[in-house]
Amino acid sequence: MITVLVEPEGHALSFDRLNTVLMLQKRLDLRVNDALIIRGDRLLTPDCRIEDGDELRVRKVTSRG
Amino acid sequence: MKCRRCKAPAEVALPSHNTAFCRDCFALFFSGQVERAIRKHEMIAPGERVLVALSGGKDSLGLMLELARQGYDVAGLHVDLGIPGSSDAARAKVQGFCDKHGLHLRVVELAKEGLAIPDVKKYVKRPVCSACGKIKRHWFNRVALEDGYQVLATGHNLDDEVARLFANTLRWDAGYLSDQGPCLPAESGFARKIKPLYRLSEFETACHAFLNGIDIHSAPCPYSGGASFTHHKHLWADLEYHSPGSKIAFYDGFLKRGRPAFATQERESGGGELAPCERCGSPTSTGVCSVCRLAITVAERRAADPERQAGRAGIQTDQPSILEKD
Repeated sequence: MITVLVEPEGHALSFDRLNTVLMLQKRLDLRVNDALIIRGDRLLTPDCRIEDGDELRVRKVTSRG
Repeated sequence: MKCRRCKAPAEVALPSHNTAFCRDCFALFFSGQVERAIRKHEMIAPGERVLVALSGGKDSLGLMLELARQGYDVAGLHVDLGIPGSSDAARAKVQGFCDKHGLHLRVVELAKEGLAIPDVKKYVKRPVCSACGKIKRHWFNRVALEDGYQVLATGHNLDDEVARLFANTLRWDAGYLSDQGPCLPAESGFARKIKPLYRLSEFETACHAFLNGIDIHSAPCPYSGGASFTHHKHLWADLEYHSPGSKIAFYDGFLKRGRPAFATQERESGGGELAPCERCGSPTSTGVCSVCRLAITVAERRAADPERQAGRAGIQTDQPSILEKD
């Protein structure tokens, strides 16, 4: 199971299977530079593999006022 | 994906530049873009004092940190908008950031100036985002001049600038198109205004904030729902995705070929003569400046507001008078 916290909304999502960050971005309908994809204290590029048990944060970057 | 410079595993992919960087090389890239912007547009001369407008977001705090690291004489200015459930949190982030990095901060509280944004929203019949922007710009410039700063820096990034240029172009607003740019010279009671992050995208400033451990205020303004800028940014993100490099090409092209034409047109049409505002001394062409007029409107309508009068009457009748207590 892969858990994903979407910021700033604070939604928590879970996925049974995701191979790469790019796949996660597509599932969330995000383009490559729409959000930071964070694992621990590191940023992930679209080609990074996602493992079972990963806890990720998706931080959208567009400021809204 | 590997870093283009050092071949270490990359953390930041930048399709617009057809490249990727590890965190150390991304820091060099980020600093280089800021240095290039400052140098190319002669934004800051040696020895000048720079006032940085701090909202608490990733752009302004990241800019402040970068300028301080590059050795500039910087101080922060935060305008507390007085919005319940929002402004206190933003102010706390700015204060915490400045304390952590030992940077000077001045705070202007709009409520004390009679211009708390909830009152402006309630009593002034114009879009609140427009009025809020005008009030903030007024105070940025006023504090810069009163406190002896030669330069006023804001954290506008490439996405902000492109969205604004796009909006101005949609309206063919010659006045705004004549002077939009990363550096506006000091003149007629205005400090020099600079935007050193104009070459960096919102994604890049977000990466910079994260990689530098900056604790940002990320909650959206409760009044900004439906702002057209957000929609324009989404349109441009789509364009950039399908055609990387479109944003900087559009903006740079405007600076080289569009703005000079609009500036010439504006010079020929002439503008109103500026003189100090009768109330606050800020430059204006209308006797009393637009922000002072807003303050007057808010004060008058607030005083005449039946809800407030009823509230005051309620308090008076519910509370025993001093004589009654005695």
